[in-house]
Amino acid sequence: MKLMLNGEPVETAVTFVAELVREQAGAAGRVAVVVNDRVVPAADHAATRLSEGDRVELLTFAGGG
Amino acid sequence: MEHDSFLLGDQTFSSRLLLGTGKFSDVGVMTRAIAASGAQIVTAALRRFDRDRPHDNLLGPLLAMPGVTLMPNTSGARTAEEAIQAARIARELCGSRFIKVEIHPNPRHLMPDPIETFNAARVLAAEGWIVMPYIPADPVLAKRLEEVGCASVMPLGSAIGSGQGLSTAGLLQIIIREARIPVIVDAGLRSPSQAAAALEMGCAAVLVNTAVAAAGDPAAMAAAFAQAAAAGRQARRAGLMAAAEEAQASSPLTAFLQ
Amino acid sequence: MKMNNTTHEPPAQLPEALDPRPWLDTPPPDARAVAAALAAEAPDEATFLTLLRADPAVYLEPMARRARALTRRYFGRTIQLYAPLYLSNYCSGGCAYCGFAADRHQARHRLERPEIGQELAALKRLGFEQVLLLTGERTPHADFGYLCDGVRAAAAVFHEVTAEAFPMTTEEYHGLAEAGCTGVTLYQETYDPEAYPRFHRWGPKRDFAGRLDAPERALAAGIPSVGLGALLGLSDPLFDTLALFRHVRDLQRRFWRAAFSVSFPRLRPEAGGFQAPKPVSDRQLAQIIFAFRICLPETTLVLSTREAPAFRDGLAGVGINRMSAGSRTTVGGYSEPAADDGQFVVSDARDVAAFCAMLRARGLDPVFKNWDAAFRDVLVPETRRCCV
Repeated sequence: MKLMLNGEPVETAVTFVAELVREQAGAAGRVAVVVNDRVVPAADHAATRLSEGDRVELLTFAGGG
Repeated sequence: MEHDSFLLGDQTFSSRLLLGTGKFSDVGVMTRAIAASGAQIVTAALRRFDRDRPHDNLLGPLLAMPGVTLMPNTSGARTAEEAIQAARIARELCGSRFIKVEIHPNPRHLMPDPIETFNAARVLAAEGWIVMPYIPADPVLAKRLEEVGCASVMPLGSAIGSGQGLSTAGLLQIIIREARIPVIVDAGLRSPSQAAAALEMGCAAVLVNTAVAAAGDPAAMAAAFAQAAAAGRQARRAGLMAAAEEAQASSPLTAFLQ
Repeated sequence: MKMNNTTHEPPAQLPEALDPRPWLDTPPPDARAVAAALAAEAPDEATFLTLLRADPAVYLEPMARRARALTRRYFGRTIQLYAPLYLSNYCSGGCAYCGFAADRHQARHRLERPEIGQELAALKRLGFEQVLLLTGERTPHADFGYLCDGVRAAAAVFHEVTAEAFPMTTEEYHGLAEAGCTGVTLYQETYDPEAYPRFHRWGPKRDFAGRLDAPERALAAGIPSVGLGALLGLSDPLFDTLALFRHVRDLQRRFWRAAFSVSFPRLRPEAGGFQAPKPVSDRQLAQIIFAFRICLPETTLVLSTREAPAFRDGLAGVGINRMSAGSRTTVGGYSEPAADDGQFVVSDARDVAAFCAMLRARGLDPVFKNWDAAFRDVLVPETRRCCV
């Protein structure tokens, strides 16, 4: 399906958030997931389905004061 | 003189230096600076995860530092709603109850928006966050934020990254005198002596970022800032001498009382 | 109801925020400490106590200079003028030191509505725009409703109406604010909870804590300003003035939109024969006033006609920025002579014109109005509240 991921259109074969995180972030450590402006807690990643056209943000910490 | 500490929410801190994590050349330099300073609170911002730059990941190294509390900030948010959302995202990442509400919509001077900051702080404080708002040095805004339950206020010394020091000193003194919560001077400090001056003035702590990250030797500079902040605090507790003497004038005012 | 002073009530306690005792144990200040206190940019309890304990032979004059400089900085050369109007001298109380106590022989009287109107008109003719309405402790003759009616009548005529009566509930203070009351004055008399019952022999005024909490109830209810004080002479002045200082600072930090004033009622020898246990001399009172001005530089400090002319002349503009003039402490007494003896003897009997002439001769500027009542009418109750 087509998704907007971090502002860019992507094509992906995954169905669940957890799969997307594994695909995109791999072993890079924790990311926070926001789907259509709603924060999806880590406990729900495995069970949360993605839909065509969803806007997904993967976020982490960065240097900043 | 025994160690003294201050309360943020229900947590006690003794280090008078907080550090930001921006503008360091790499994560290793950053962690060495934090370790050298003894800072107990470190703030970091949110960004989109970039699969091409996984080595910029701060979370792992920060969580691995003993004695360091991560205080996420909402830098990048332009509205209260965005800041509140950023707080939720940050908690999802690290579980911290601390949140530095930092809303600066103008990228040229990075001055904090008092209205959006107040609106975000009020919501987050009601939800139980330990709210640390970054604000202009406005004494009335500081009291209003205290009123709605913020754990501290963080008035700026001067614009972020400007190195102009305590240009708001007069207003900071008013804020400090009237506050019932810790006042943490944040932004614009260039040198450790300015940090000492802020602590001598009576604030609880200072937050420094650019001056450490941009130094030739960030770890050494961070340690210098920590020492200066501690010295300023100790001087304050030791009782500073009077700055000036009043000159004696002509006829006495109290002759009628002899 | 028991009406004696041997009731076994548990002793009241001062809250930690007001308790002066941690500071009272410190050693007397040396010259360096006093110099630092005189120049302090952020005066605190230690500063205040240092100034109180400084040797007056050396430091009274420098303190006076600093007090005058700060009074000028925050108030210019203005002296706010107000008049006290006793609405009633009925009193249920048993204050050992007061001419109105229930066991004193006084002609008891209260002003009826037409008389209140006449008294207010007389004060208006004298030039006053700020009036202080007084009653004794609550009685059926002069209860909350009576006071509220008096406030309403005064608020229609004067720009500022302050009430000095008895501790009230939050709801009552709200009612007072709605009636146009712009300030409440209430003296704790003494902040020493062990000494307090000795002077307040019976009645509601024995409730030390209820009285202490009343100013914050008033502020929470929307009364914009509060006047505090201790009756100097009852107890150790160091204890009472430091507790008073802490009381003001605590309320100022919590009700930061509100205005505050501090008064300095001092026990004088009076007809009933009550002797002040810890008398405060003129020099001591001056030192206390200077210490308050230096440590609460933006707070209004009040001196009434209870004090003698020479003392009032010397303190006007030197710490003190608000004074009464031409006062009557009898019930009414401005439109025609009163029948009673008054609460205390007025030492400064100069009329308003003479008093203002003295002020001007000293380069001071008597002002009869601080805030215009137009601001009071514009504000809706929600914005008058002083704290969440």
